[in-house]
Amino acid sequence: MADADEDAVRGTTVEATQIETDLSDETQDFRLLNHLNFLTDTSSSGLPRRGEKDFEPNPTEFQADVLSASRQAMHNALAHPRLHNPKNQVIAIYAPEGPPPPPAVTPGQDTGKPVARGASVSPDACVYVPTPKGQHFKSMGQADRKGVIWLLPEEALYLLERGSLDIRWPTSITGGIGEEGCEEELSIPMSLQAAYACLIGRGGLTLERFTVYSSLKRIGYAISRAPGWNDSAKAEDEDRPDAYTQPLKRGAGLAGILGSIFNWINDPKSTSSTAAGPVIGYGIHRSYADIYKKLALIPWYDPTLAPQRDPLNTTAPYRVILHVYKPNTSIKKSALPPPDFRIAVISTREATTIPTLPQLSALLESTPLDPPQGEKMERNMYMRLRHGYRNVILAVVDQGVTSFLRIADVAFGKERLYEGVNGPTGPKKGGNFKKKKKR
Amino acid sequence: MESTPTLPIPISYVSGRYLLFSVDAVTYLRREHNICGVLIGTLPQIPQQNVFLGLPLELMPEEARVLVDKDVACIVDEAKAHDGMRSLLEEDRRQYLRDLESQGQLAMRILADRKDQQREQSLKEIDEKKAKGLAAKAAKAAKAAADAQVAPESSPAPTEKEEPNSIFAGEDGTSSLSRTTGISTPAPQQALGITPTTSYPPLPHPVSASSQYLPKPEVPLSYPLFAHLHSRGYFLSPGLRFGCQYVAYPGDPLRFHSHFVVVSAEWDQEMDLMDIVNGGRLGTGVKKGFLLGGPQKRRDEVESEADRVDTVRTFSIEWAGM
Amino acid sequence: MASQQTPLPSLEPSALTKLIESASASGNPLAATTIQILHNLQHQHLWTFLQIHDISTTSNATDPNTPDSIAFNDPQTLISGIPPHRVYTHPDEQLYMLDKGIAEDDLRPERLFVIPTAQGQKWSLRRMAAAFDSLAALEVSENEEAVSSNESVDPEKAKKLDEYYERKERARETKEWGTRRALLAMTNRGMGGEGTVVYYVVQEGDVKPRQN
Repeated sequence: MADADEDAVRGTTVEATQIETDLSDETQDFRLLNHLNFLTDTSSSGLPRRGEKDFEPNPTEFQADVLSASRQAMHNALAHPRLHNPKNQVIAIYAPEGPPPPPAVTPGQDTGKPVARGASVSPDACVYVPTPKGQHFKSMGQADRKGVIWLLPEEALYLLERGSLDIRWPTSITGGIGEEGCEEELSIPMSLQAAYACLIGRGGLTLERFTVYSSLKRIGYAISRAPGWNDSAKAEDEDRPDAYTQPLKRGAGLAGILGSIFNWINDPKSTSSTAAGPVIGYGIHRSYADIYKKLALIPWYDPTLAPQRDPLNTTAPYRVILHVYKPNTSIKKSALPPPDFRIAVISTREATTIPTLPQLSALLESTPLDPPQGEKMERNMYMRLRHGYRNVILAVVDQGVTSFLRIADVAFGKERLYEGVNGPTGPKKGGNFKKKKKR
Repeated sequence: MESTPTLPIPISYVSGRYLLFSVDAVTYLRREHNICGVLIGTLPQIPQQNVFLGLPLELMPEEARVLVDKDVACIVDEAKAHDGMRSLLEEDRRQYLRDLESQGQLAMRILADRKDQQREQSLKEIDEKKAKGLAAKAAKAAKAAADAQVAPESSPAPTEKEEPNSIFAGEDGTSSLSRTTGISTPAPQQALGITPTTSYPPLPHPVSASSQYLPKPEVPLSYPLFAHLHSRGYFLSPGLRFGCQYVAYPGDPLRFHSHFVVVSAEWDQEMDLMDIVNGGRLGTGVKKGFLLGGPQKRRDEVESEADRVDTVRTFSIEWAGM
Repeated sequence: MASQQTPLPSLEPSALTKLIESASASGNPLAATTIQILHNLQHQHLWTFLQIHDISTTSNATDPNTPDSIAFNDPQTLISGIPPHRVYTHPDEQLYMLDKGIAEDDLRPERLFVIPTAQGQKWSLRRMAAAFDSLAALEVSENEEAVSSNESVDPEKAKKLDEYYERKERARETKEWGTRRALLAMTNRGMGGEGTVVYYVVQEGDVKPRQN
């Protein structure tokens, strides 16, 4: 179906794919070097360009060419190698056995020096960096007494994948501790494939967790494991009847709400009760607020009174496993501030239905109270409602595709519309009403 | 690159998931078998964004199963395969390291050449601009050229694929914590270090030992519908973005919009009519059809999943607009 | 809108309620759904030549003696009628019409089938397929009765239309312009059921969506 017109249109787009690489003869000897071709081809070092998509395939050559150009660009982008300049190359060693157990504490030795601080390296760490340099280790890794940085599997894999870390197989596995050189020079670099094979599945790191971790790291967030990372970790005081069944006095719960209604009905000072007569009753009402208060018959849920739950007293996957910090916060690894976001990771293939209310409630109760604050919130009721009193983020992963959902515990009952002060301030009636009042 | 990799293509089974690490395999499966998977890795050349991702490619178990059933691919336990690192021959190990070394040297040379070229180019441009009396602009161009030598860091224009990030709103998405280390040129005889993408070599190609293949992937009940649509030429991807099981594209998703949000059901599985209304509305809202279907046979009525695939019936549903 | 609930003593039952009551003397609740949707098509959407088709014998319903809900819930009737305007045009057909300069109004009206359902009714792929299978039998007899009202147009247009109908006949065989189709009508029942009916175009197989 190619015709003159089509050829005219095609001219521009095809060029890019026809640029031959001048070093291609040289590179044929090495299989790996096929993937280095991009280096010679400045036009393809960029990104695959997407352009407008079509509704459906048609038999034109134009469409076929655009598609093959897109695929070629994708191929080139994916073939981009991970190279390390000797100047700033950071070498790490894979340690399948994990860090050596911390030596017995010798009092007096630890004087609070930053190097000596991290005597407690996570037992899940399995890659160490003998001579750490670069910015990544400000937010990642834990230093042992010798100043060696130990990385958790997700940290190591993330750094390798972005081309910032050269992880080596230990010579204890691959052999080759030669008399002629140091370990680093003779050790085999770990491939991306090897790193996935060795690190995913280690220390609770599922592929879904890693996908979420790396997608947030890429755009600058700092991340640490939350206590709930370990699925089987339980709250220490679990045997004790937990806070949920033994409501605190300040806590309401359903029984509390019923009780308060009951008290209210029996309140002798009340002008009326629903049991004995009209809701509003007789007597003098000086403001609408009084009347609306009386009309508020339906018990409502107050999240500020909900019991606090131990984060470990939740069930995977509905438990917080990652603490996330905004990119601009300065973080000291040794003393992490409260996180900006708490994340639970859910795989759609393992949890195929939406969570139940008890699951979500438990998850929310395990997060700290985070009431709406700030000037904006005070002004805008809808922002308050959206923000809620507790919140958590569900990272839902479907075979590599991730959606982040923010779940908040909302208190509609706390918004007393009849008081008018912080009523709805949308472009609708609320605004008009206010204007009138001011006049 | 119209190459055909050696078949069957080994699919890495890693901690219960199916991954591909070979770019040739990824390109080939996309081109010849309409299998796209989902790229989940960081692109080393542009590590600070989530719009374009790199290897590995995660396959749905359904995709892996279709390929295994066609004898195009096999499943390899990658952790086990890497035990082979313990039994490398000394000679092979040394050869492999020498290969990496010379590739690293070549890479270094190519980079140096290109840098020279670019420097000349930008100098030339500066000269030209100066001649025109546009010194200010020239300085800018030189800076741009210098930037171009460093691994590109600019975020590309957002596309449909970009995840809405409103949850983390208020962030500009960049961080001083993570900057790419630019590649500058040291002495030409030095070699760049290389992190290879795959482990083959130094490991021997895993396909040589077919006795070590893992069994066919376990698939969900929706597999027959997946296989049916795939056999009709559709490209299928996970359905999370549209709240369905699969999204079906009439051609490569690189170039075409999807046609259907797909939901599978068993033949006698009771469904709420409201689900059909929901699906129909959702589909119409995003200019897609809602495709509902499933096999007429239950698993206990047939010998293999393939027998169910042949009995699939589907229905396309759109809002009538009345 | 009309209500199906028992009216308060002081109110006359609505016309629709009376209609449904009179028609559902058989005691089959699904008949009430059918009548309600028929009524909606006739009066709200101005369909004409409405018919009810009994398909209880053609569908592979379970043994009528089984008292359980499965037989009861099988679609037993279909409605057909002629809508005032076309409800659905396949995107490729639309393209053809645009290309040839044919307007929808030039075309003779077509009979369209409707599967009546009610919210909360049990549904499954098997039931959907059963309804479509009975549709196949009904459509065969339907083809003959095409209303011919467009004979008086100018000869050029008549020729175009003839070509269109020929093309359409071919497309029916190749399924280029979509497949067998019906409207799935659902009336709401929950929360008091105020009588809303929603309509979805259902076609067998993977038929690409309209782009609009």
